[in-house]
Amino acid sequence: MRKLLVIAAGALLLTISLAWWFSGRQPKPVELIPTLTNQPEYCISCHADVPEISKSHPVKTFGCVSCHGGERLALNADLAHSTMRGGKNPSDLSVVEASCGGSNCHSGSEAGNNDHIQRVITSIQSTYAGAIANVRFTFGAQTDMTAHFGITAITNAQTQSDITSLAAFDPASESNPSIQKFGANCLNCHINATPREGDVYARQTGCAACHATGKHTLTTAMPYTQCNSCHNRGNYDLRTMTFVERADHPTSRLQDYYQPIAQFTKCEYTLDCVDCHTRTEAMGDGNIHSNKKDIQYIQCKTCHGTPTELPLTKTLTDPNDIAFKLAFLNPVVDLRLGDTILVTEKGEPLWNTSVQPDGTYTMIGKATQQHFTFKPVMGSSCTQNGQDQSSAYCHECHSVQR
Amino acid sequence: MRPSFFHHLHPPTIPAAQARWRYTLGAGGTAIFLMVVLTITGALEMFYYIPTPAEAGLSIQTITYLVPFGGLIRNLHFWAAQLLIIVSAVHLVRVVFTGAYIPPRRFNYLLGLVLFVFSILLNFTGYILRWDTGIQWALLVGTNLIKTIPFVGNYLYQILIGGTQPGSATLIRFYAWHIFGLAIITVILIGWHAFRVRRDGGIALPPPKLRANPERITRFELVRRETLAMLLTGAALIIFSIFAPAPIAAPIPLSTLQSVPESAAAPWFFLWVQQMLKWGDPFLWGILIPLIILLILALIPYIFPKPLESELGRWFPVSGRVAQITVVIIAALIILLTILGSAPTS
Repeated sequence: MRKLLVIAAGALLLTISLAWWFSGRQPKPVELIPTLTNQPEYCISCHADVPEISKSHPVKTFGCVSCHGGERLALNADLAHSTMRGGKNPSDLSVVEASCGGSNCHSGSEAGNNDHIQRVITSIQSTYAGAIANVRFTFGAQTDMTAHFGITAITNAQTQSDITSLAAFDPASESNPSIQKFGANCLNCHINATPREGDVYARQTGCAACHATGKHTLTTAMPYTQCNSCHNRGNYDLRTMTFVERADHPTSRLQDYYQPIAQFTKCEYTLDCVDCHTRTEAMGDGNIHSNKKDIQYIQCKTCHGTPTELPLTKTLTDPNDIAFKLAFLNPVVDLRLGDTILVTEKGEPLWNTSVQPDGTYTMIGKATQQHFTFKPVMGSSCTQNGQDQSSAYCHECHSVQR
Repeated sequence: MRPSFFHHLHPPTIPAAQARWRYTLGAGGTAIFLMVVLTITGALEMFYYIPTPAEAGLSIQTITYLVPFGGLIRNLHFWAAQLLIIVSAVHLVRVVFTGAYIPPRRFNYLLGLVLFVFSILLNFTGYILRWDTGIQWALLVGTNLIKTIPFVGNYLYQILIGGTQPGSATLIRFYAWHIFGLAIITVILIGWHAFRVRRDGGIALPPPKLRANPERITRFELVRRETLAMLLTGAALIIFSIFAPAPIAAPIPLSTLQSVPESAAAPWFFLWVQQMLKWGDPFLWGILIPLIILLILALIPYIFPKPLESELGRWFPVSGRVAQITVVIIAALIILLTILGSAPTS
């Protein structure tokens, strides 16, 4: 009996030391108390190697949970990740309000210039209204090109366009087989989509579609490759209503990226898309539109003017000018009060440009920080008719040969 | 050797034949040891557990992941509770199969049955205290069952959950029940139960002249055997705790507390009830049938044919056949329903 007791005591001691050993193998808790939430979270016990997502979202302030959700105290991966918002992409529009929203963050006021979520959700990139309207018009389901449907139903009573609401597009209620096929095959091409299966597609929705350019990175300095991950990822076949994803890996921007029939001037394949196209063009202006054409307005003349007019400029006198905020977020230029910059026809600042004393202009690449100098059309030998100043006319003479 | 306090809790000698493992299965003693483990680990958990809907799940995560050895303590509490139900059931079945419930032990049999029910209620209330999405179905469906009791159902429901729908009052009530309404009462009842074992003459025995083996063991030997059982049970608990951690899930979001999750998930000891609930009337299958089973068990010493005193002290006395067969049928049905209930529902 005594022998048995000794053996049993030994067995108990053995299990206790085993328990000790196992508890030593658990991840060591590393605490982070973000100043924004003031609630401890332990994500970095395992994720210490994740780089800070951007200077505007310092991890000491935001932590992980305010954007990603999840169980902040759990050191078990399954439990910790079980309540994460949007999986790999908390900015997916289905959860964006909880992840990125809030009046102090990205669903604030138009006056505060932080109504990003409201603008994006009504924008053509989310509603896909233009494509839906075009396809329905083409196949006879509607008689005009006005958008009636979006990916989801939206209403915007304050809209300044003619459209106050869009109904949810339902391919099942369409009678034309081509529209049905369009519904089946083509509806993942917008930032309010359910992303396709696979990690490479997970961040092609929501804010991340444009702003997440690398591993755990958010930026306003998007290189053209970011835009091209959607806008040049393959070709439509309109007969079969299918999308053929391109299989090659483009290397030469001029030769490989763009459609063979398209015409381009030098700046269009040298600059990044965001150097010219503005935030309202990309993220919407808060109004519901029928077509990309209704929101995209930057032309060659925006920066170069016409033979009879110089481009619009503005001297910065208000320290609260949005130009300073944008330059602060992507400090490629040292913008100061009194500087004169180009502005668009709608008054949006082209804050990475400046007007030089000799009448020329400079632009700093937002993503490349390259330095460009350019001249106005006025005073050049251009003889183009003053009525025909859209970019297509410029391409007639200035497109590069490929 | 002078007997210590712990030795004095035992009778000076007991009959060797009835002190064997193969007769007692050590179940009653093991149940007391598990209750001691539960009291200690539970008291430790009380230093960290916060019984509010917003904090309960988080405080359990704190215990599990952040408190040094908190995970081990919680796992021990969980596994001791599960083992307690199994060991108590084994103890109950042993008493019936050996006919040990006949007078003068009838009352203590009832006390034991009450303790068995308490161990199930303790387990269920403890399960609810997790307050995570894993327990949501059982919380809502379990408490809704009470409403189906005729006349007093709604009243009982409000007393139990502290309002017309589950909320923060519900959690604090389950907490109070778990500790004050059940655990403390259970400890007192265990004392009474053990006292009655000695008052009723120790382990059930045949009359002196019918005993084949007059040999007796001392309280020292008895304590040694109990120590052996405790050491082995302790080792088993730790092994379970290391390799099969207690279940945990994300806390119930405050906004979805009232919505019943789609997939049914009763704790394992109520799977048989969950299975019966699929058959229809919740009052009949969820409350009446379990109560009838409990009533049958309670009536065994009173209305079933009594085993003869001369047949005591061994397994399966012929005179106790009806009770034995009844318990076998009940056990088989519950095990079968549990297996059916644990199959994934399509």
